[in-house]
Amino acid sequence: MRMRQWILAALLAGACAGSRAQDVPYQRIVRADREPQSWLTYGGNYQSQRFSRLAQVNRGNVAQLRVAWIYQPVRPVANLESVPIVADGVMYITEPPSTVTALDVRTGLRLWSWSPVLPKHIVSIGLYATSRGVAILGHTVYIGTADAHLVALDAKTGAVRWNVPVADNKMGYAITGPPLAINGKILIGTGGSEAAVRGLLDAYDAKTGRRLWRLWTVPRVGESGADTWGPGAAQSAGGTTWNNGSYDPELNLVYWGTGNPAPDFNDDDRPGDNLYTCSLLAIDPDTGKMKWYFQFSPHENHDWDSAEPPVLLDAVIAGKPRKLVVLANRNAFYYVLDRLTGKFITGVPFARETWAKGLDANGRPILEPNQQPTLGAGTLVYPSITGAVDWSSPSYSPITGLFYVSTHETGAYYIKGTGKIEQGGQGPRGIVGGGGIRALAGEQSYGAIRALEATTGKRKWQFRLLSPAWVGTLATAGGLVFSGSDEGNFFALDAETGKPLWNFYMGHEIRSNPITYELDGKQYVFETAGNAYVAFTLP
Amino acid sequence: MAFLASVFAFAAGHKGAAAAQQSAPAASAPSKSAGAASGDPARGKSLFEQNCSSCHGVDATGGEGPDLHGVPASLGDEAVVNIIKHGIRGTAMPMFFDLSDKEAADIIAFLRSFDASATAGTVKGDPKAGKALYESSGCSACHMIEGQGGSVGPELTRIGAMRGPTSLEDRLIDPGANLPQNGTGFYSSKWTEYLMFRAVEKNGHVIEGMRVGEDSFVIVLKDGSGKFHALWRPDLRSLAQEPGKSLMPSFKSALSPAQMDDLVAYLMTLKGAQ
Ligand code: HEC
Ligand code: HEC
Repeated sequence: MRMRQWILAALLAGACAGSRAQDVPYQRIVRADREPQSWLTYGGNYQSQRFSRLAQVNRGNVAQLRVAWIYQPVRPVANLESVPIVADGVMYITEPPSTVTALDVRTGLRLWSWSPVLPKHIVSIGLYATSRGVAILGHTVYIGTADAHLVALDAKTGAVRWNVPVADNKMGYAITGPPLAINGKILIGTGGSEAAVRGLLDAYDAKTGRRLWRLWTVPRVGESGADTWGPGAAQSAGGTTWNNGSYDPELNLVYWGTGNPAPDFNDDDRPGDNLYTCSLLAIDPDTGKMKWYFQFSPHENHDWDSAEPPVLLDAVIAGKPRKLVVLANRNAFYYVLDRLTGKFITGVPFARETWAKGLDANGRPILEPNQQPTLGAGTLVYPSITGAVDWSSPSYSPITGLFYVSTHETGAYYIKGTGKIEQGGQGPRGIVGGGGIRALAGEQSYGAIRALEATTGKRKWQFRLLSPAWVGTLATAGGLVFSGSDEGNFFALDAETGKPLWNFYMGHEIRSNPITYELDGKQYVFETAGNAYVAFTLP
Repeated sequence: MAFLASVFAFAAGHKGAAAAQQSAPAASAPSKSAGAASGDPARGKSLFEQNCSSCHGVDATGGEGPDLHGVPASLGDEAVVNIIKHGIRGTAMPMFFDLSDKEAADIIAFLRSFDASATAGTVKGDPKAGKALYESSGCSACHMIEGQGGSVGPELTRIGAMRGPTSLEDRLIDPGANLPQNGTGFYSSKWTEYLMFRAVEKNGHVIEGMRVGEDSFVIVLKDGSGKFHALWRPDLRSLAQEPGKSLMPSFKSALSPAQMDDLVAYLMTLKGAQ
């Protein structure tokens, strides 16, 4: 009885928090840094820095962190990669494949849950049906679903405001990445390069769900860039936009990365640079027009998408204040670009790579010979297909000036196949592409959290992990970097030295980027593992 | 982002598969007709690429799972069909209950195209004499058969359904050879459990044993007496693999060739409880 009353009180507290009006207007997100008690976007702020000013948990006391609550979905889930949004006493999580759940942030109890009615057979080629998170704007939360719909839900109740198809899942389009909510608009990308779909980025009216514009990321015959595809321009495919983008409210520019051209590994039918695949696009969100692009890996054929979240930061380079966009690319190079113009400033490898001698003055890779996929036994190339980093997000601390990235150190044999990719229609077991890989054995691979000087890419320290991890990093003003391992360690490192300060074994692989927020004067850190969503705080 | 999906989808799949297997009745009789002769290697290649290459490599020379060249020849087709359809319990090798006998035969034909010469070997000895040797040689101190015995080495209850005479003999003669060294973490092959490690603590104390668990902060070793040691990695002076080593002694000189044949014949009768 007592227990029940307590729960009721907790629920009421939650409801009270809720009735503090779920309202996150655009201006609040612009100033996200001023309310570190919340976590308002996938990347923590529009700049995707994943840095928090909260410092209550710090080097001195992080060892005392303990579990505050654990939420587990009603039915067990697989591929849990959800990064929550925390606002006004409510935490919005996703449960794979496409469920949105609102939790009372104080207790972890569920307030509401919404699931789409998904088709029996979801086409997911080269990706798995999961969701990395929602976006919030005003009184509404937004999710992209496994069957490539964009859905707007009432933040208080989960009621559907609108639900629009973004693209046809039967062709292989599917959404795992979170939407980006800016002033009055919701931007959303999709995956599906392995199904040979044509990459796109869409903007929708936040209120009505009406599509405002669509940007195709690969040109067809007659469009600008089509000459970089040879005869392939008739069928150009790939360049999907399956991760999250960043936004500069002052410049009013959105930055979004694109994936590999299709088919991978076998490039016979697509001679040329294959614009705008493996690129960073700067887009005017009012028109959907590209302002500039920077292609990291021209004519890519190792599956090194450039969909990693771009991080926006301001810093002084050679005595001049510069507006920068930096990105640790799956191709193992770390890039610093001018975010006004897209001009290349510098780029260096941050992990072992054997495919390029370096970058030229414009940032174009100078290729090593014999590093392309070959027929038969294949060619050993570093990094492996999973890249030096994949979709997990890095972080940047304006205090240390360091960029923290969870790095994969491994290579693979790349094998060119003879099969042609066909659009959509593959069976559930179908894994297609123009070839395949043979990864180096596990013991020959490892992972590391690496701290790079953000303006140069120079490595300051590393903390070695047993295996390559798929967990982003979180930097805090408490002098800490949080991240996780593939074996299930959730840990904190000293942001200056990389020294391990805390480790909690979560009992299952970790696959989500950690976040932090504050409640009732207490700082919380949050991570997921296996089937569990876990909040930590000091005693 | 090709292939990630395959790796993870399988990873998720095999966990489920392993769990399901625990409760499923032990293997039904494999089909007799699944000989390589009836398989189509070209179809097998494509099936292999779709279902197996993420672990065994596109060319079947290994990765997360072992090298499969010569495996149908040394294990025999029946055993391979059995492995494909039922997986290997407690390991990362999933079951493919949805592959038909014909498809399994196609895959075997593809695997056989790499090495036509190796053979599974034939059962030559007397299983009754072999059983007696098993009991007198101390095998059961380390191995379990149908719940009886020790747990230093792998369970042998179904070993005859999963291995052929030649590969069993190789194991008895040269244990530790060809133990896969790959794979750590959740979805790794169980074989890696038998890889030997040598850890030296800060005070110089040495612990040698098989790695039964490991993460970025801790490694757990099981020594020859079955004792577990959980070691905090940042505190170790050194930690090294000992490839080629095994806790299992070689029986090369302890057994005559005829006794070896008998023992193998006995092991080949172990096909799991019906
Ligand atoms: C998820 C990874 C994975 C997939 C997918 C997979 N295997 Fe395996 N397989 C393994 C591992 C790991 C082992 C070693 C198991 C052990 O520890 O005994 C193995 C063992 C085997 C063996 C026994 C090898 C020997 O020498 O005893 C055969 C045969 C085999 N696999 C065939 C296949 C075939 C055929 C397919 C596709 C239909 C397949 N495997 C798919 C991981 C995998
Ligand atoms: C001191 C412990 C120990 C003893 C005694 C021992 N084994 Fe082993 N055995 C192991 C270990 C550990 C492994 C796994 C590592 C390896 O293969 O070397 C193993 C592996 C095996 C394998 C390979 C299993 C597989 O999956 O392929 C077979 C078969 C085997 N043992 C049979 C025997 C027989 C028969 C005897 C008695 C003649 C015996 N062992 C005695 C420890 C032992």
